Formats: sequence, structure tokens, C-alpha cells
Amino acid sequence: MTAFVPLPLTLVLDPSGPGALRVAVGGDLDFTTAGELLTTVVAALDGGGLTDVRLDCGGLRICDSSGLSALLTVHRQVTEAGARLHLDDRPAALDRLLDVSGTYEHLTGEPATSDRWHSTTPD
Amino acid sequence: MSGLGQDGAGALWRGSPHPVLVVDAAGLIIRANDAALRLLPAAHPGASLADAAPAWLSCAHTRALGPVLVSGSAAGDLRERGPVGPATVEARPVREGDAIAWWLDDVTDLERATRALRLERERTAFLDTASGELLSSLNLDRCMEVTARLAARHLADAALVILPPYRRRHPIAYCGQDGVVIREELAVDPEGVPGLAEALQGYPPLPSRWIDPATAPDWLARDGLGEIGSMVVSALPGHGVPAGALVLLRRGGQAGFSEGEEVFARLFAARAGAAMSAARLYAEQAAITETLMRELLPPRVRNLHGVEVAARYRPSEQTARVGGDFYDLHAHADPGGESLVVLGDVAGKGLEAAVLTGKIRHTLHALLPQADDHQRVLELLNGVLLTGGDRTRFVTLVLASLLRVGNRVRLRLTSAGHAPPLVVRADGRVEEARTRGTIIGMLERVTSVTDTVLLEPGETCLFYTDGISEARGGPLGDEMYGDERLKEELRQCGGMPPEAIAERVEMLASQWVRGGDHDDMAVIAITAPRGAHLSAVGGNGRGRFTA
Repeated sequence: MTAFVPLPLTLVLDPSGPGALRVAVGGDLDFTTAGELLTTVVAALDGGGLTDVRLDCGGLRICDSSGLSALLTVHRQVTEAGARLHLDDRPAALDRLLDVSGTYEHLTGEPATSDRWHSTTPD
Repeated sequence: MSGLGQDGAGALWRGSPHPVLVVDAAGLIIRANDAALRLLPAAHPGASLADAAPAWLSCAHTRALGPVLVSGSAAGDLRERGPVGPATVEARPVREGDAIAWWLDDVTDLERATRALRLERERTAFLDTASGELLSSLNLDRCMEVTARLAARHLADAALVILPPYRRRHPIAYCGQDGVVIREELAVDPEGVPGLAEALQGYPPLPSRWIDPATAPDWLARDGLGEIGSMVVSALPGHGVPAGALVLLRRGGQAGFSEGEEVFARLFAARAGAAMSAARLYAEQAAITETLMRELLPPRVRNLHGVEVAARYRPSEQTARVGGDFYDLHAHADPGGESLVVLGDVAGKGLEAAVLTGKIRHTLHALLPQADDHQRVLELLNGVLLTGGDRTRFVTLVLASLLRVGNRVRLRLTSAGHAPPLVVRADGRVEEARTRGTIIGMLERVTSVTDTVLLEPGETCLFYTDGISEARGGPLGDEMYGDERLKEELRQCGGMPPEAIAERVEMLASQWVRGGDHDDMAVIAITAPRGAHLSAVGGNGRGRFTA
């Protein structure tokens, strides 16, 4: 059989201007990699002076419950550092996870999708 | 060259540090230098080699006369070794005309070093073997037996491994000459054996203690071994905890333990102690895990006041994991009251997740009196987890309050960050319950929307954990099973009994991963029984139904 092959997590940091940090997140954010995201962002916050942290989620393949936990912890750390967290270019699967877990509004700052009782979009 | 008779050369030859004997074909000594006379005082010219030297040398002389030795060259393959008094001597023949000059070499030290090296290699090999045998199983009993057996075979005539007491009795493994290990638990007093009490208390490894065999108690020096000549106690050093003690016994008439053997025994004891304490730590951890697992095992599935419930639970096969999925069924004391079903999934793995799971289940149990208000229950549980937790773990839950109303079942469903339950209607339609809520244990504020669902007879409500929906497999092995596939399958399950649906769902997910890894899987199916309900007799009974 073909086994499921996990992808590593890739994080590309791009200081996109004064006070802003952009992190391109790619691959799998799961139990084995969630810690990397957290340490990377916390290390960037230690420099101080950030007002916006943007996680570009376009390349994110899988985000499991440990990944969600990491996103929530990153959000807390960024907020405590006086900055704002943005989750840009979210894949549909991530939006579904945020929706089902009741963390959509908390993490994106936008109200959760109104049409959320009938997600009949096929995978 | 035959210059041995020349004065200058003769003087040189006489004073050479190497003993040299020239012996003729008849076995008579022609000449011997000073060093040869120091070694063999009787080897004067004219004496017979057989009288003046050990038998092995005269036998060698007879052999050396046999093959033609090229004059002036050593017979490369002829080298004899043998004792001369306390020394070991190597003899090499060199042909001198019709005679043979025997060049002798004292190789006592070399011999000793060679022997020591061989012994050292044997010991190293033995220690390697011992380590391999000891570490091949993380089982304390087996480690004790292996230690006793190896010690009795290689270090002594008999050996005992004695562990610190457990409930006042010392576990003991005894091995005698027959190689059979006897296991006992004895209430003995280690104070009666010098050094044993200290060894068992795990003081830093003490030097081995010699015991006067005459004072050894019967449980140490056993019958069948004969008279004990020497006895040694060494500690089996553990990882900061005493692993136990090793007692070695040798019979009378045997050599006592040499210094080298004691060092060797200590090396062996260090390995055995390390293996035994690793085995003990592992056993303790396994026992803790076992206890937690027992505590976490799902309850037996029941009929809750005329509502049929079936559940399936399959923990992940990865041994490092203790199930993070759980469910509980709380029947209301009164058949007219709502019973509560809880299905949950704790993020994370291993013991920490298991401990959190236990905490959540107990908290929910304590909150049962408030179960009519799901939002309140979730808020209280969230508060408990936030105050005590590390805020990096969360749990997702589905709360279901169920009540039989006539022949229908009313469900109040609240999902807290969990995939919403699915309702399988009698005609095969599959609906998602309209409930959403926040995960519990990470955010200050939790919100939830509760949905009320009515099940007609034969209709089922299904809860499941992400072990089902996120099972990875499929044709290419890289696809999630997904909610949509699950819904599609459930459309074929209209009117099925709950056991059949729960079993089918679990089977589908297992087939999807095709033997690959999967996360914990838990499934609960709640069904309104078919048939007209006549009466719910006697509180907890199923009541009676028409066929």
C-alpha cells in the first residue's frame, strides 16, 4: 500500500516593512511540527517593535488539533506582545477547522461564516 | 658461520643475555653459555639434555634432528614452549653442523600478558552478551533470572540476586550449579549479612564485602552446594534507586575471588543493576499507564431509559499513545429525566492527555446536576481547565441530552469545537446537527449554539471523533476519509440498528487506512427504537415493544 507521507513544515520569514513580519507557512502543521511555528514566532517577537504578524497559510496542507493549538498559542503571544495576528490566504480546510472548532472569529477577527450549518461542499 | 669456538666470539656468546645450548645428535650438551647455566644449572658440557632440561626440550631436540634444518637458519616452524621452573621458556633450534644450538627465550611476561589479554577479551565478550541478554527484555523478573544464571555460570558456583523488600518480603532469584533459577520471596533480615543491608539501601556502590561463610544464614549458603569457601556481596547499582544486591558463592577448595575477578564482578553487577532498574522503571510506568487506561476505559454500552445506544472505541495502535478519545453515558436516575451522553477528544498524546481526559470526565460528572444548560456546563468546565491547565491543550466535546418522548427520542445537542453529530433519517437522508461551539480549555470565552433534534423510530444520531473523519489512506494513502465520504456511506444505513451503524463506521475508517496508523477512533450511535412503545417498566428497563 502507499503509506501516508507527512510533509515537513516550512517557515519562510520576510520582514515586510517596519513593525511587520510575514511568515510563509507551508507543509503540515501537526503534532510533530507545531512547536517549530511557536518557537519561530516567539523568537521574532522577542526583537520587539512588531505591530503586525502575518501568517501566509497558502502553502499549508494539513493542520490538525495540535496545529490549531499552536495557532491559538501564537495568537495569544502576539496579542500579549501588543501586535496583531493575521492569517492570510487560508485554505478552505483551515477555514473549516476554525469554523468547527469555534475559533474562527477569535483567530481571524471576522464573524464566522453565516452559512455554516450546511457545509455540503465535497472535499 | 661456525665461529663459536673463536675466543672473541666465544666470549660474546658466553655473555649473551639469551640462554644458548649446543646439543649434539646424541643428545649430549656440547656447550652452554652463562645465561643457559643460570636457567638450567645442570647443563654442563657433557651432560645429557634429558637430565639437564625439562622433558619437553629433549623431545623437541629429537624432533629437530628429524627434518633437515638448513645450516645457520632457524627452523621457522619449530618453536617450542614449556615451563622451566616458574618461568615459561620458548626454544628455537639453529643447526650448527651436526649439532643444534637451542636459543632460549624467557617469555613468562609475554605469556602472562597474552593470557590476561585473552581473559580480558573473554570478559568483555561475556559482558556484551550479558548486556544483550539483560536488555533484550524490559522485564524485571527476567532480568533477575538472567543475572543469577549468568553469575552462577561465569563468576561463581552459585549466585543470588536479592531485591529490596516488597511488602516485607525480599524477591530473590537463586541459581546453583545446575543452572536452574529458583524464585522466592523471603522475609529475611538483611542485617544478618554484612554489607547486604547497605547494598539494598542503594548507598553509592560499596566495595564488595567478604562474608565469613560460617556466619552466612541458611537462605544464603544452601544445602547441595557443599561447604562454602568464599562469599562476596556486591550492590547492584540502579538509577538513583537501589536495584538490589548480588551474592556470589564459591565452594571450599576453589580459589577465592582474585582482585581482577572482583572488578569483573562489579562491572557485571553495574550492568545488571542498570538493566534491572530500567526494567523496574518501565514496569512502574506500565503499571501507571495500565491504571490510567483502566480508569479511562469507556463504560459498557447500555440502553438509556428506552433509548438504544451503541458505541465503538478503538485506541490508536501507536504504543506511545494513551487514548485521547473518550465517551461517557450518564443515565438519569429518573426515567422521565434527560440522560447525558458525552463524546470528547483531548488534543495531544500520551500520559498528559490521559490525565487531562480523566480530569475532564470527573469534572463533567460533577456538573451533571447542571446538565440541562449545556452552555453553563461548557463555561464551568472551561474555567476549571483554564485555572489548572497549561493553556496549550484543549478538548472538543459533544454533549447530548436525550429523553424518550412517546416513541420518539428528543436530543439536545451541543458541539464544543467538535464535528457536529450526523442524523441518519429513516429514508436514508443524512443531516448535520446545527450546533457549533468553542473548543474548551484554551480561550477565556466560550460560546455555543445548541440544536434540538427529534428522532423518529429507527432513526439514528451519530457522533464520532476525528480518528474517523481524518483517517489518512485511500487509493494513494494520502487522503483524509472526510465527513463527505462518511455522509455518503451513512445514506445506505437508514433504519439500521445502532450497533450495526457504529460497527460499519469504524470498519470503513479502518479499511480506509488499510493497516496504516490511525488516531483514536470513537463512535456513538443513538437510536429511537422501532416498534410501538407500550410501557417503560421499572425505571431502567428497556420497556416493552411490539414487534
